[in-house]
Amino acid sequence: MAFLSLQNVSKSYGAAKALDAVHLAIEPGEVHALMGENGAGKSTLIRILAGVTRPDSMEMMLDGARVRINGPQDAYDLGLRFVHQELNIVAHLSVAENIVLGRAYPRRFGVAVDWKALNRQALGALKRLKITHIDPARKMARLTTGDQMLVKIAALLLDDGAQAARLYVMDEPTATLTGDESQKLFDVIRELTASGASVLYVSHRMNEIMAICDRVTVLRDGRHMATRALSDTGREELIHLMTGRELETAYPPRLSPVQERVHLSCTNLSTAHIADIGFDLRAGEVLGIAGLANTGQSELLLALLGVDKPKSGRITFDGQTKRHNPAAAWRSKIAYIPRERRRDGLMLTRSIIDNITLPHLKKFTRAVGVQSARHERAHAAQLARDVALKSDSLRQPAYQLSGGNQQKVMLARAIGDAPDLLLLDEPTRGVDVGAKYDIYTLIRALSAKGTAVILTSSDLPELTGMCDRILVMRDGKQHAIIDTTGLSPADLLATFYD
Amino acid sequence: MKLATKLAGLLAGAMLATGLAGAAMAQSKVVVITPYLAQPGTQFYVEGFSAAAQSNGWDLNVIDTAGDVAAVISRLEDAVNQNVDAIVINVDPAQVEAGLEVARDAGIPVVGMDSGTSPYLATNVTSNGYAMAVETSVYVADRIGGTGNVVMFVFDAFPPVQIRGVIADAVFGNYPDIAVLDRVTPDVSDGGIADSRAKMEAILAANPEPGSIAAVWAAWDQPALGALQAIEDAGRDNEGIVIVGIDANPQARDAIAAGGNFEASVAQDFVGIGNKTAEMVARLLAGETVKENVVYVPTMLITAANAAQ
Amino acid sequence: MIQNLKRYGTLMGFGFIVLFFWANLPETFMTARNWLNISQQVSMLAVIAFTMTIVMVMGDFDLSVGSMASLSGITAALLFAHGYPVAVGLLAGLAVGVVGGLFNGFLVSLVGILPFVATLGTLTMYSGIAFLVSDGKTIFGRDIPRDFSGIARSGLEIPALEITVPFLTILALGVLLLVWFLLEHTAFGRRLYAIGGNYEAARLAGVKVRRLRLIAFGLTGLGAALGGLMLASRVASANPTQGSGLMLDAIAAVFLGMTMSREGEPRVLATLVGVLILGLLDNGLTQMNVDSFVREILVGAIILAAVAISSLGKR
Repeated sequence: MAFLSLQNVSKSYGAAKALDAVHLAIEPGEVHALMGENGAGKSTLIRILAGVTRPDSMEMMLDGARVRINGPQDAYDLGLRFVHQELNIVAHLSVAENIVLGRAYPRRFGVAVDWKALNRQALGALKRLKITHIDPARKMARLTTGDQMLVKIAALLLDDGAQAARLYVMDEPTATLTGDESQKLFDVIRELTASGASVLYVSHRMNEIMAICDRVTVLRDGRHMATRALSDTGREELIHLMTGRELETAYPPRLSPVQERVHLSCTNLSTAHIADIGFDLRAGEVLGIAGLANTGQSELLLALLGVDKPKSGRITFDGQTKRHNPAAAWRSKIAYIPRERRRDGLMLTRSIIDNITLPHLKKFTRAVGVQSARHERAHAAQLARDVALKSDSLRQPAYQLSGGNQQKVMLARAIGDAPDLLLLDEPTRGVDVGAKYDIYTLIRALSAKGTAVILTSSDLPELTGMCDRILVMRDGKQHAIIDTTGLSPADLLATFYD
Repeated sequence: MKLATKLAGLLAGAMLATGLAGAAMAQSKVVVITPYLAQPGTQFYVEGFSAAAQSNGWDLNVIDTAGDVAAVISRLEDAVNQNVDAIVINVDPAQVEAGLEVARDAGIPVVGMDSGTSPYLATNVTSNGYAMAVETSVYVADRIGGTGNVVMFVFDAFPPVQIRGVIADAVFGNYPDIAVLDRVTPDVSDGGIADSRAKMEAILAANPEPGSIAAVWAAWDQPALGALQAIEDAGRDNEGIVIVGIDANPQARDAIAAGGNFEASVAQDFVGIGNKTAEMVARLLAGETVKENVVYVPTMLITAANAAQ
Repeated sequence: MIQNLKRYGTLMGFGFIVLFFWANLPETFMTARNWLNISQQVSMLAVIAFTMTIVMVMGDFDLSVGSMASLSGITAALLFAHGYPVAVGLLAGLAVGVVGGLFNGFLVSLVGILPFVATLGTLTMYSGIAFLVSDGKTIFGRDIPRDFSGIARSGLEIPALEITVPFLTILALGVLLLVWFLLEHTAFGRRLYAIGGNYEAARLAGVKVRRLRLIAFGLTGLGAALGGLMLASRVASANPTQGSGLMLDAIAAVFLGMTMSREGEPRVLATLVGVLILGLLDNGLTQMNVDSFVREILVGAIILAAVAISSLGKR
């Protein structure tokens, strides 16, 4: 029997209906998945629950009584707690201080902070979640992202003075976590539900949802599609509910064979962060970079882009060495999409056009340095079509787009000058199923035209499905290069460990 | 009074009330523009001028540009645009000629209030710098009986002070038994007292016999105060060394009133300059032509007898 | 409604100020002559604010423009005093601006000091140099050639309209046009906006961020020097502190302008509105006999109001 139910939730932005008479019911102690493609309305629904966005209409019942949410404090008073993907942490303070942040520090003699008592309180909060591996006195900055999230959840628990938490809302909590870290989070979720609280869990990761959730509600285009028990719902059915189409094979096949010509060659390459990298990459080849979290995958791409300078060894493109800086790299048709697209890729307040054409402005320069706005707009519009970008207008600022569409803007930027080498750092992270498939298709099309692609991913099936070869890294060093013919994700995972 | 006008202005500005400029039509509009309203001397000028303006029934506007000389030009242009009847400035006219030219073209008379002479000004009302130097140098010559060594503190880089030095040179030169022992230009970046004191200490050390220094003549008060400190500190305050300064600032008046070696200074009549300026404006408004480029307001010698006033 | 108020609040405020002065000063305010006066009065501030916009587009600051303006004026005046021709003095003044600006850029982009700290340091340095070379004195009178002070007094006569457009106004309009073209219509300007949008993203997308920052600071220095020379010409003198008041007004003008763009970015045409607001208040309040101290309170209040309105609903 549901303790919390939402009926008839609608919200429009101008003519666009973000939510159209959606309903949702949460039972005590359950983990309820909320699924849908980017732009389906999940984020809007969560923002309404958090009291950040006002719905046009909503009927909300808690324990059979009619309630309202007019602001974040109301949501809190009703027992709703939110774990956001982007963590609000204070990196240079200790774990314990982050846990008590915003509350009174325990004190001695009314003035001096009582550090022992502070750490004891924090330890208590961590223990309630059976977390024993985090020292409350450590600096937050020295924790992994996953542990930081666990600390934030512990902080929510500590806060339960007035009104016990009834529902934890987690928006893509595992997006930045490694497999191990995710497992710890799932343990914590089990602890929370065992104590009677419920969890509303938003994720694109089918495996996780199948593993930890009890029921699922699927949204598509702002409408409620279905609410099912996961025990009698299949993967294909879920994808069908979300996308409205049957998904072909998960990974599109190669369109043409890898060319003979070696495009990129690394010999004995070392930088401040990586060592002993050596491989040849042929035109049209897709090379995956794999390994446990943070073992130098991103840093390898940064070395190729010229951000990190080589300490030894050499990089040649078509047999030639180039200057090591990003400007020279883009000029010689090396394109790059960073892992953290909001932090390192997008100019959030600037238009889609500006974001797409940033590295290619020279193309539109006419006499005496004048920019041709018309050519630039036409070029950006063509690229936006090529990557199937969905937007109201190309003048929209980037922050208004959903995660998947933001990634498409990054892709449009990357393919803007028909790159010879494409460096993709986690290109499908936080991207919905449909957009993922669009990205795969695009990679295949580029590869058929002779573009060499290097791609890092923590999604092992994606690596084995898309790549011709995979370079496995351990502790910043190249461990092996594996041909993917007949390679299963499990085989690949085995190479990460001794 | 001052507060009341400020409050009125604040209200007018903040509430954006209308109809502020609706004063009587027959009133003469007079504007005073200065960058230096924060300085004590200027406040006395303006006080004297305002009092006279009030009794004449003028519509007076005092504008301070807070040290910004270029803004004086802008405000001159604004005043001309408003078609005021007369303008008074208290700033070096050479630096605001661009604005004075506009006023001349519009036929609006501009009077300098201790500002300097300029062909653009109808007249300039000031103290007579030559006369002030005469007063103190003759005082020194008389006090030492026309005989002895004199130390001079001068500053030739600043024209109004430079002319004081020239006059003192001439006066001392006219006494065959007076010798100028040293002509010192102190470093004024710290206000002038400290360096003058250091310079005077060196001179005292070089002339140790009592009576070898008869007097110290300073072109303004700060070096005189520095010299006084040096003399007292060296224990030579009983030799009868006569010290004089010019300007009679409060610190100098205190020293003079104490009855020590610092015996005299000259005070400018700031309020009187303001009054006199108003008088010149009144004459110009009455259609009179003023012939004098400069109008001098008498100064007053300050000694122990009148220093406390 | 709120959106419009946010975006157009400053422009509406500007219109209101104009109407208010027009109503209160019906005979003198809305005249060609008064507006030409205002344009000349704000021309130096305008040049400095326009070029300040160039670095503020990148999210940077230059606090040293005021001392730079003083220093360039002093440099030119010293050369005049030593008998060099006007052209030499002008070129030397501008050169000092470029060198000083590039030094700011060097500190910010190559050494990596925060702009606030770097230019706070050079503010003091440049001011000190100005005092040093001038011995702290005002250079004026015969040392300043008529040809130089005449620049600020000359103008372009338009007989048909019976007006004379001051040369300083024309100069400021020229700088406005150049900066507008540079920022809005060249790849250079677009890249500066990109740096302001996301420094790291611009760098990773191949924008030569260091070089651009260096050049941008050089241009701001050049503009500061030009403003300083215009000021020296107008007052027919130079002293080591005369430009110091310009820095805060220039930054205030850019901030006022920033409240007019949707995403709060500096735009040089919006900076112009900011400059005009500051100039109009000086001009109009003087004509209305309002105390200059009150004017300062009002300017502060207007900046705060503009920024507050533009951040309505942002939280």
